[in-house]
Amino acid sequence: MGGTDAKDILGLPKTPLSLTQEKKSRPQKESHRKPDGISREVYALTGGVAPLMPSIDVTHLKRPPPPDEKVAWQWLPVKSSARKDDLQLYHWVRVVNDVPPTGDYSFAKYNKSVDVLKYTDDEYENHLTDPVWTKEETDQLFELCERFDLRFTVIADRFPLSRTVEELKDRYYSVTRALLRARAQSPAELANHPLIKEPYDMTRDRERKRALSMVLSQSRHQEKKDAEILAEAKRITEMRLAARRAAEPDVPANENIGSVSPSSNSQLPATAVAPSTLTMADYASTLASLRMLHVYLRTYGLEQMVQAASSAVGLRTIKRVEQTLQDLGVNLKPKVPTKTVCDEHLELRKEILTLLNLQKQLQYKESEGSSHREGTYGAMPDTPKDRVFASEPFGFGAERPIKKEPKRKGPGRQSDTPSPAHKRPRKLKASDL
Amino acid sequence: MYGGDEVSAIVVDLGSHTCKAGYAGEDAPKAVFPSVVGAIDGVEAMDVDADSAKNNSNSEDSKTNESDKEKGKRKLYVGSQALNYRRDHMEILSPIKDGIVSDWDLVDNIWEHAFRGCLMIDPKEHPMLLAEPPLNTQQQREKAAELMFEKYKVPALFMAKNPVLTSFATGRATSLVVDCGGGSTTISPVHEGYVLQKAVVSAPIGGEFLTDCLLKSLESKGIKIRPRYSFKRKEVRPGEFQVEDVGVPDTTESYKLFCQRMIVGDIKDSICRVPDTPYDDKSYANIPTTSYELPDGQTLEIGADRFKIPDVMFNPSIVQTIPGMEKYGDMIPTVRGLPHMVMESINKCDVDIRRELYSSILLAGGTSSMQQLKERLEKDLIEESPHSARVKVLASGNTTERRFSVWIGGSILASLGSFQQMWFSKSEYEEHGASYIQRKCP
Repeated sequence: MGGTDAKDILGLPKTPLSLTQEKKSRPQKESHRKPDGISREVYALTGGVAPLMPSIDVTHLKRPPPPDEKVAWQWLPVKSSARKDDLQLYHWVRVVNDVPPTGDYSFAKYNKSVDVLKYTDDEYENHLTDPVWTKEETDQLFELCERFDLRFTVIADRFPLSRTVEELKDRYYSVTRALLRARAQSPAELANHPLIKEPYDMTRDRERKRALSMVLSQSRHQEKKDAEILAEAKRITEMRLAARRAAEPDVPANENIGSVSPSSNSQLPATAVAPSTLTMADYASTLASLRMLHVYLRTYGLEQMVQAASSAVGLRTIKRVEQTLQDLGVNLKPKVPTKTVCDEHLELRKEILTLLNLQKQLQYKESEGSSHREGTYGAMPDTPKDRVFASEPFGFGAERPIKKEPKRKGPGRQSDTPSPAHKRPRKLKASDL
Repeated sequence: MYGGDEVSAIVVDLGSHTCKAGYAGEDAPKAVFPSVVGAIDGVEAMDVDADSAKNNSNSEDSKTNESDKEKGKRKLYVGSQALNYRRDHMEILSPIKDGIVSDWDLVDNIWEHAFRGCLMIDPKEHPMLLAEPPLNTQQQREKAAELMFEKYKVPALFMAKNPVLTSFATGRATSLVVDCGGGSTTISPVHEGYVLQKAVVSAPIGGEFLTDCLLKSLESKGIKIRPRYSFKRKEVRPGEFQVEDVGVPDTTESYKLFCQRMIVGDIKDSICRVPDTPYDDKSYANIPTTSYELPDGQTLEIGADRFKIPDVMFNPSIVQTIPGMEKYGDMIPTVRGLPHMVMESINKCDVDIRRELYSSILLAGGTSSMQQLKERLEKDLIEESPHSARVKVLASGNTTERRFSVWIGGSILASLGSFQQMWFSKSEYEEHGASYIQRKCP
């Protein structure tokens, strides 16, 4: 409501949305009757809802004072039970009908103090003597405790001899405990007293304070150095980890693996026997946890290496390699993956790849040769651009010329053997030699 | 309802630079005047009888004739109005040396002026709350109590320590109060309303010391600060003034110094700033200068001094580079900068409360309203203190509040309902003697 009034005053245009809202809200607001006692505009200023905090009851605001009361303010003396002497201070008092208010000074109830036990000399002689503390000191301590309401920090500050807070606390609590025990009629009523149930332990308090002071006394420089050192250490461990991980796929002859393999071999028969039963997830999780300990399962390592080796090869070729392996009677995953066995396995795979490559090339050449012989009419000029062929360096066993065709499953899919129309002479590869 | 109950108490705070007095329950003191006294010694006044009879406001010369053989009756002038008027042979005396009262007669006069001159009250009817420095001795307190009860016959008295009152003024019971006053800087921890006396650290570097540094620095550059009484400005042509020196041979050195200090103090208040980093001559050599016009028309260009002088508080050894201040050189090695003093004070306290002290450091006193002091102190403390302690320096934004924070705390305390049981009354004084004050006012 107030919002629209403000807009009216300012001459701002009202948006249609707000208008519809207004129309909706207005009937709602009309159903809330404004409370009596304040005008509509004032109520609207609060947003039309009642305040969240309990405020003065509205009915009191416009109520005139009852006519039979006569209120005056008088400068009267203070009567307080908190003061022991007869000091007369004056203050303003609301006097109704010439009758000053009765009762104690309203602030006297705040005069609370702690009950500190007082002992007689006899009691001191019997129960409370202590080698470290003299009677005068103990007396002083108790007097200060009473004055300062057991604020031990302040008491330690004002104590004439220099004693630590823990010592003062210890003495006070032990004396009070001894007094309680001595004065109690039966042990039962003592058991619930907090001092008996949880006795003050000075050594623990001292330890706690020492630890706290160590935390608080570390200067910024030290903390910065500590943080720097921790960051350095973290960096170094991470570097080591990264280096290890990088070294892993290339050369299986890793110190770590070598040292770990005897231990992992015992586990591995179990894993190797049923690698197919293990789901990939289990595998990965076990491996992940083992990796934390820098333990590498050779099968996993081997698989990675195989994958790395055949990454540049098409899926079909991989299948062919595996097919060849099976034809030869070799397991896809070596049963007993020792270092030598894995090495041999990888070698074998590479050689199979090479073999397949060579076979393919042989096929090409033969088809070329046949096409040469057959199609003189279909001879394409050996323009240099035809010769342009992606002749990437053929790394030793690891890569193949990338043929994207097997991967493409679209209509542009070409067969493995190139059509006779394409005369793409291959360059000699290193492996051919 | 709220906890206030006025008994019309009076709060008096006698500092080393200014004295503040007023009614409890108000938010600022009514009477603020320098806490020094101008004294004209009776013997000297005799020699220039004719002149002084005209100068002195009331004729006590007849009395001085009688006491010729004694030291001579002194005429004392208190209050800013009386002090601003130049009188021959008037010496400026300060009752407070090194934080403690040395001359009770002067204190008496100051109080008298405050009660009857400024506030116009009869001390018999009002309980009195006095503010005292945290390391006040038993003897001083007893003397003050004696003076109050015997001479002024107050009905009740209470003596509260300055840091406690500052703490109450900000609504805290535990805090570390850094009081940068006129005469000295005092750092005191307050725990639950009581000062921890063993951990109070004090240094003699205060606002007056900084003013002196600035004065000597300006003089060494050849700038002569003319006190206001020593010249006359004549309008030679419209808008142009000519300055003539007025010969005043009988003015004392101390008065001249007092007037010069007033002017230089104003320079310090208006243009000095605390540098953000420790001061060194090379980096501040090319700082742009600010101009300030002196009362006699001279314009001062102040550059590096703007930052050098306040940095004395953080790095006292700079004082030795200011020409003319070498006599303080021997005291300096024992005095450390402000952040170090704060850390020292906190480390002397019990471990449990240190964290709380770190997070409530209060600034008080006239010198603390220097610009950028709070920021610099906070920055230095955060660097030096351990990470786990959250350092927080609090200072009220209003400079009036900072100057009068002790008085304001006293005003709050004296008007609380639950305080009324703690007054040290006349009957208690008569019964137990002045030493009872030690019990009553912890």
